[in-house]
Amino acid sequence: MEERRHLQTRGGNQPLTTLGLIDPDRLSLFRYGIVTWIDTDGFPFSVATDFILSENGEILLKKPSVPATMTRGRVGVLFNHITGIPTGGYTDRRYMLVWGTVSEDKGFLKLRPEEVSEWDEKILPFDKLCAAAVPQGKRYLESIQPSIDA
Amino acid sequence: MKAPTWVQSVFDRYLICEFTSIDNGKPVTFPLLFFYDNNPPRFAVTSSILFSRKIEHMKKNPKVSLLFSNPEGSGVEKHVVLVQGIAKCDDSDLDHGWERYLPMWRKKEPYIDGFLAARDQFAWFWKRIVVEIEPKKILAWKNGDTSKPAEAINL
Repeated sequence: MEERRHLQTRGGNQPLTTLGLIDPDRLSLFRYGIVTWIDTDGFPFSVATDFILSENGEILLKKPSVPATMTRGRVGVLFNHITGIPTGGYTDRRYMLVWGTVSEDKGFLKLRPEEVSEWDEKILPFDKLCAAAVPQGKRYLESIQPSIDA
Repeated sequence: MKAPTWVQSVFDRYLICEFTSIDNGKPVTFPLLFFYDNNPPRFAVTSSILFSRKIEHMKKNPKVSLLFSNPEGSGVEKHVVLVQGIAKCDDSDLDHGWERYLPMWRKKEPYIDGFLAARDQFAWFWKRIVVEIEPKKILAWKNGDTSKPAEAINL
C-alpha cells in the first residue's frame, strides 16, 4: 500500500551472518539490491545491481557503471520485494535496508553492514506496523501544531 | 521532458519507486508508491504522519532521489531510471490535501477504496503529507543493465 517501516534494527535474536547483523536466509530471498549514496552534488544517487552471498556470509554486489564516489562513504542498500496482483496492485511486501560501507573486492563491491532495518508484512502485519508507529505520528502532529494554531 | 518511450512507460506504469531522503548525510531509502504527471514533469508521493521521519529529513534537506527499478505488477519490461530532484512537503491539509491523488492511487491499487471505507479505523494513516518532487536530473539504464553507462534524459 504505502511505505514500510522499521521492524528491527541492530542485531536481534535471528540467525546471523559472520557479520552479526543479517539473516542470510531472509536476505537470499531478494533478487537484487539498490545501492544509494550521497553524490558530490549533494543528491542521493541510487543504482540497482545484482548481488551474491559468499560462503562466508559476505554480501558481494555486482559493480555497476556509476561514479566511483560510492566507495568514499556510507551507503544504504535496499533489498525490496513485492508480488504483483493480476487484478492490480501488489502484495507480499518485505524489505531489508542495510547501511554500511563498500569496497572493491575481486570485481565486486563488498558490503560491510553496520546497521539494518527491515519489515516483512507476513511477520508484522501492516495494521500492527501502523499501531507501532503512533508515537511518530503524535510527534509529527505536535511539531506542526504551532502553524495550525497560527 | 524529452524522454524515450521506454522511460515514459516506466513513469506511467511502474507501481513503486525506491525513494531516498537524507538524514544528516545518511541516505534513507524506502519503497514508495509514487504518482507522475507529465505536464510539467512532476513526481509526487504521499506519506502518513505515522511514517513521517522522511518528511522531517526533507524539511531539513530537500534533495531526494527516486529510483525506478522494479517492474513487478506493471506489465512493463525491466528498465532502471534514476530521478534526482527537489522535494516540497505540504502538510497544510493532512486530511484532504492528498485526496487529489486518489484517482491515480486507485489505478495502481484498485483495492484502496476498501481501506478508505475503514478510514475512521485507521484515522492517522489517512492523515497524509503531500511531497512533490521537481526533477533536476534523470539517468536511465535501458533493460536495467546498470553495468553499462546510463543515458541522460533531457528535462
